[in-house]
Amino acid sequence: MLSAYITLIVILIFLALVAQRKPEVSHKEILSQAVDNTLPLLIRIPAAILAGSFLAELIPKDYIVALLGEASGVTGIILASLLGGALPGGPMIAFPLLLAMFKAGMGTPQLIALLTGWLLLAFHRIFAYELPMLGTEFVRRRLIVCLPLPLIAGFAAQALGQWL
Amino acid sequence: MSVIAYLKRELLDRSTLFFIVLALVAGGALWWLQGEEAFEIAATSSGVLVLLIAPIILIAMIISCYVRELIPTAVIERWLGSESGLRGLAVAVLGGAVTPGGPFAAFPLVVGFYRSGASFEICVAYLTSWAVLGLNRVLIWELPFLGFDFVLLRLLISLPLPVIAWMLAKFVTRRRNA
Repeated sequence: MLSAYITLIVILIFLALVAQRKPEVSHKEILSQAVDNTLPLLIRIPAAILAGSFLAELIPKDYIVALLGEASGVTGIILASLLGGALPGGPMIAFPLLLAMFKAGMGTPQLIALLTGWLLLAFHRIFAYELPMLGTEFVRRRLIVCLPLPLIAGFAAQALGQWL
Repeated sequence: MSVIAYLKRELLDRSTLFFIVLALVAGGALWWLQGEEAFEIAATSSGVLVLLIAPIILIAMIISCYVRELIPTAVIERWLGSESGLRGLAVAVLGGAVTPGGPFAAFPLVVGFYRSGASFEICVAYLTSWAVLGLNRVLIWELPFLGFDFVLLRLLISLPLPVIAWMLAKFVTRRRNA
């Protein structure tokens, strides 16, 4: 979180300095544009984050771990790809869960499919950030495009593992 | 514009309303199924998260407004538009891999570029790269939890994914426009 703050502030300062050299760009106008863009999110994002974290709590985590713990083979890759999007929460919740499944005996290709599914399709992130900022049409099209990617990653990992 | 009129307009916005209803239903279900304590923990941690990320969203929005003002639309279209080809893809993949911070930083940047002329497939390539190749998350989370061998294999496999997403997105867009 701190690193995000620092990097973004450095980028912002750099851009403001560049803008300073261009008389036609008004800092005040930029700021009021940004505030106008952010204001509609002030109610939407907190409601979305609240909804996302309540939904994440409702997901039966233990059941998913048990279901995927010993996942193997092609069925395991398909199951992991599908359930990746259902893994709740941010990295502080997801990575300990992934580690638990790794230790429970889940295969590497299945774990890669699961992690890729979570990275691309996590419902929590879609609900809390992507939908409120980018809208249904964008999200729907992106999901169609990204749906096959966890499967591709899982099968590629399996093929590569046999070859290595 | 008065604050009340503003709140009223915002609260009646369809997607805001959707999230408010969803939060109420999910919160009610959580309280009912797992008790008051589980509800309170989830609500409090969400509140803290909102306070931590609200300034980041604003900063990211200011950045994207500066970018829009400083870079002419023609240049953005040339570099990130639907005709930008492999050059646009390379910029999107590199940019996605190095963007720091969570979704609260990446999505406002996408909003800015998408509105000022970046194409859908470039935005998808950027988001895919940010998700599967994001260095920040790899270094802070994945390496400590899952180890070097696993991360190396996953990154190797994930390298082509933004390109595949870009091609699929181009295909979806073309079919939609046809």
